Amino acid sequence: MKGNSVYLFRRWWERHGLQALGVGLALSLALLVRQTQGGLVFDIYQRLASPFAADPTSQEELETARVRELEQRLAELEHQYQLVGKLSEEAKKSQKNPIFAPVVGRSAHHWWQQVTLGRGRRDGVKEGDIVTAPGGLVGRITSVSDRTSRVLLLSDPTSRVGVTLGRSRAMGFMRGENEKQGTIEFFDKVPDVKKGDRVFTSSFSQLFHPGYPVGEVVAVKLDASPAPQATVKFDASLSSLEWTSIYPQPNIPHAEPEFSTESNDEGLSEH
Amino acid sequence: MTRGYRNTSPFLPLWRWSAKTSRIVNWGVTIASVFLCLLALPVRLPGMELLGIGPNWLLIWVVAWSVKRSPLQGAIAGLVLGLLQDGMSSPHPTHALGLIVVGVLTALLQKQRYIQEDFISVALIVFGMTAIAETVMALQFSLASLRGAGDGTFPSLSYIWTYHQRITLASALLSSLWAPVLYFPLERWWETLRSMEE
Repeated sequence: MKGNSVYLFRRWWERHGLQALGVGLALSLALLVRQTQGGLVFDIYQRLASPFAADPTSQEELETARVRELEQRLAELEHQYQLVGKLSEEAKKSQKNPIFAPVVGRSAHHWWQQVTLGRGRRDGVKEGDIVTAPGGLVGRITSVSDRTSRVLLLSDPTSRVGVTLGRSRAMGFMRGENEKQGTIEFFDKVPDVKKGDRVFTSSFSQLFHPGYPVGEVVAVKLDASPAPQATVKFDASLSSLEWTSIYPQPNIPHAEPEFSTESNDEGLSEH
Repeated sequence: MTRGYRNTSPFLPLWRWSAKTSRIVNWGVTIASVFLCLLALPVRLPGMELLGIGPNWLLIWVVAWSVKRSPLQGAIAGLVLGLLQDGMSSPHPTHALGLIVVGVLTALLQKQRYIQEDFISVALIVFGMTAIAETVMALQFSLASLRGAGDGTFPSLSYIWTYHQRITLASALLSSLWAPVLYFPLERWWETLRSMEE
């Protein structure tokens, strides 16, 4: 009986062994790529794509755009200053110099709104870092390879950002809707919101620094269920990004703050 | 059997390769074509984009592979490429399920009876399969959204299905138009190998 099954197995192996090996190899390779979030593929992609990447001179344009953005943030910070009486530690930290990164690829599948940036672990980018573009906030780094990093855009339906209105300080969560706009759901039953209000990241957000410009309210729907809603048009044009700036992620209050500050400094000292 | 060919030039006509060599070359070509598809995913060239959506190269590859193979082979290809696509975008929910369905259905199609093997029918198959794969994706999102109702990680049902409608047509159109670019060279290659083995 045993001999028979061994014989059967040997016959099967002679006929299908190589195929089975091939299938096993292909499957484990695919699992590896899945586990590493395509790191190797994106690194090779970045090398191939670098000759066609956006013109480096636009880095200068980006810096002038950054000055404009900082002016806008200054106004918002002054507002916070009046409210709180002092600048928060977080806001000071976020003033550090960013890492500039070109956009080298778009979403690999259309159910997700992502972009791939041409800077990775080697350049000091970390998971959870914040990405902005001329105008305002763009999204958050969700995975990093040696030379590239992947950004989950604000416009993705699974992205949720704590936001606040510049004028009335009404707060809520913003979710992506399409490339141009997102929807805020307010915490208040009757929020003070009107068309044209400026939207910033809120101090309640643990993922983002407070006070980044996000967009502008273009429509208000107070009778929406379960919470009043407003539609926001993003400041940064997410569909035609070319260069972005990466800032270290804010320290999460409960994690040891000193340690993570150090690691952020290390990441930035290379630039 | 292979010894006779070992010292000859590698640029021999195909029919003179030994069975082993041609098998290795075949694996090489197959893997290289999948890799090219992976590299093409994040690229958006003019004409390759509609509403911010590009062609689903991996789905086209699974269709090209499965057209003349068994449902099991189609399913395995769907699983492998689905896992790869998970790595390239986001693993939750997985792309593998949709691509396995595509692989099996394509292999099951009675092509010799209903559909001829030409430009139009391949495009048609890809069109239909994209719609099916998108629906599987939307169903998975709906399940995840129902299961985690209210915790806010997944969008609402109404959002998922309006988004599904919006992207399915664009994605199916683009993928079917670009399908021949991948299908014909691959099919030619596999056809040559098949006739050689006979």
